[in-house]
Amino acid sequence: MSFDVVLRSILSAAFLASVLRISTPLILPALGGLLTDLSGAVNIALEGTMIVGAFTGVIVSAYTQSWILGVLAGIAAGVFISGVLAFFHLYLKTDVILAGIAINIISSGGTIFLLYMLTGDKGSTSSLASKVVPNIDLPIFQNIPFLDQVFSGHNIFVWLAFILTALTAVMLYRTRLGVHIRAVGENPTAAESVGINVRRTQLIAMLLSGFLASLGGMDLSMAYLNGFTRDMTAGRGFIALAAVYLGGRKPWGTLIAAMVFGLADALSNQFGSMNIPSQLVSMIPYAVTILALVVYAVRQRQVIIDRARKFQERHMAEVAEAKAAND
Amino acid sequence: MIRKALSIPSVRETLRIILAVLIALTLGFIITLVVSKDPIGAYNAFLTGPVSRLNRAGEWIKESITLTLLGLAVAMVFKANLFSIGQDGQMQLGALISGIVVLYVPLPGILRIPLALIAAGLVGYLWGLIPGLLKAHLNANEIVSTLMLTAIAGRFYEFVLVTYLKPPTAGYNVSAAFPPEGLLPSFIPPFMTDLYQLFTSKANITIMIYIAIALVFVTYFIMYRTPFGYELRMVGANMKVARYGGVNTKRTIALAMAVSGILAGLAGAHLTMGIHGRVITQITASLGFEGIVVALLARNNPLMVPIAALAYGYMRAGADIMERSSDVPREMVLVIQAIIILLVTAERILPMVQKAIAERRDAGPAQPAEAEAAKGE
Repeated sequence: MSFDVVLRSILSAAFLASVLRISTPLILPALGGLLTDLSGAVNIALEGTMIVGAFTGVIVSAYTQSWILGVLAGIAAGVFISGVLAFFHLYLKTDVILAGIAINIISSGGTIFLLYMLTGDKGSTSSLASKVVPNIDLPIFQNIPFLDQVFSGHNIFVWLAFILTALTAVMLYRTRLGVHIRAVGENPTAAESVGINVRRTQLIAMLLSGFLASLGGMDLSMAYLNGFTRDMTAGRGFIALAAVYLGGRKPWGTLIAAMVFGLADALSNQFGSMNIPSQLVSMIPYAVTILALVVYAVRQRQVIIDRARKFQERHMAEVAEAKAAND
Repeated sequence: MIRKALSIPSVRETLRIILAVLIALTLGFIITLVVSKDPIGAYNAFLTGPVSRLNRAGEWIKESITLTLLGLAVAMVFKANLFSIGQDGQMQLGALISGIVVLYVPLPGILRIPLALIAAGLVGYLWGLIPGLLKAHLNANEIVSTLMLTAIAGRFYEFVLVTYLKPPTAGYNVSAAFPPEGLLPSFIPPFMTDLYQLFTSKANITIMIYIAIALVFVTYFIMYRTPFGYELRMVGANMKVARYGGVNTKRTIALAMAVSGILAGLAGAHLTMGIHGRVITQITASLGFEGIVVALLARNNPLMVPIAALAYGYMRAGADIMERSSDVPREMVLVIQAIIILLVTAERILPMVQKAIAERRDAGPAQPAEAEAAKGE
């Protein structure tokens, strides 16, 4: 295939729509990662929380034949898993990384184990008639030529990803809880000294992150694909974590970063048809994340240096003033 | 007597780990009881499988060699309180470069094998040095950077394998089989004919076992008998104090992560040259975080790493056999593994148990400590 054809397919509405779909299971857990990160703990268990949400949603929807019950059960399972993580980290003082790794292991192993027990198959739930969530078409886009194709035929989770990003932004910067979460992450001792319940704030952040990650998981198993396959999250929880840093630890930045990862994923599919190796294309977002990490660190250090210089200048000025007054 | 032994921290730690493993194994048995039609048979296969035949024991030992190298790699960074979890990527690149050397460098085996091992160690060193430098000089979060570098390494590995190493005729994504000059020799010297034949045909354990044992002592020596090791432990104990005490913390951090990479790179070389005999797709599947478990069980002590690796490798090998010979899937061992991690790392569990015991004792009528105190008055 020539470059021209690929370029045209990239600029098409269908491609942009697919970027939205591919990004959704990254945006939702990334928001969860953002909340825990701001509250001062790296939630490495996003991956495991996603897979448990994906699995529970499919199983419950298959047995109850109701997608709503499936989604609710998936959310409950995701919140429960992050509750376990919070219990070990906040109350038993387990290191959050090691507890997170344990959660990931038990989630991956446990879902395959239960899958085998329930279906006799270790690969997927193809033998179960599970439900998918419905699509929602917004009427406002219907008569706009290009946008109607980009924004039509998307499932609930795609819309939720954007709505929840907005809600997260409002929550973080406009509500008491958001201020508490950021304060606790910035300096727990200072937060405690002004009467913030540090542990409870971190617990809330973690439970919310479980809620968001489970939605991301269910997007995979109940919308993007129809059914659960073993380890179907395939590292998306870790990519979501990277999106938090690439996005500068801000809600809309995180959303854009997650979409950059989604774009790279969609592009690597397209380039696969040309002679550009897809593995090399899919490497780019990770390399960019490392760069973002470096830029963030350098900027952070510059801020500290600037502050120190300002403090010093002010101090010198005060000293000079005092001296002048004495004279 | 027992109380005196219990007051020694290392004894208490060991006891705690053994207890955690026993609790996890019991939970595993309960799960087996619930799900299996023949729980005793299944659990028997799990617990005795790895030593039931020579070839199975061989698989177990080979797995334990990989786990030992990974465990040493993790122990070194964890001792410095660095959460570098990039062993998987370092291992993949080590496997890849050892495969390239073995397949394309036309040297006799006696030179080609050491060259491949050195290349694997070197590439691991470099892949550990990058996040090490980022952490040391920019304070960039090492968890995220190592995760990213692992993802990059994994994609690079598959790219090179599919594009360059895979023969056009191969149906799967695998390289050509290594020539004999590229396979690690058996751990039994050829002149012991009978044993040599027995082991090469049934359980081809390679000389990597000697290298791994040597590296256990080398790692211990580096960590406990060299200035670098002292600084590494100081950085791990308290970074600020270490810096105040004149430790070049930047150098120590970067070097700790790089040297740890050597060990992970060698684990990768063991996968290709000692186990699979070729470069295969997803060679490190399911090994990613296993080094962390081994290091945790060994409490980051290099001398304990091989014991932890043997114990843990035994569990993994047992699970495989259980899956083949019963109706319980091998993933049960993952549940056991996660419970072990949680129980071993939950710092507050023991104090909480102690408190509960103390409270119960308080409720009881006889109080030896109080009685003694009363006597004193």
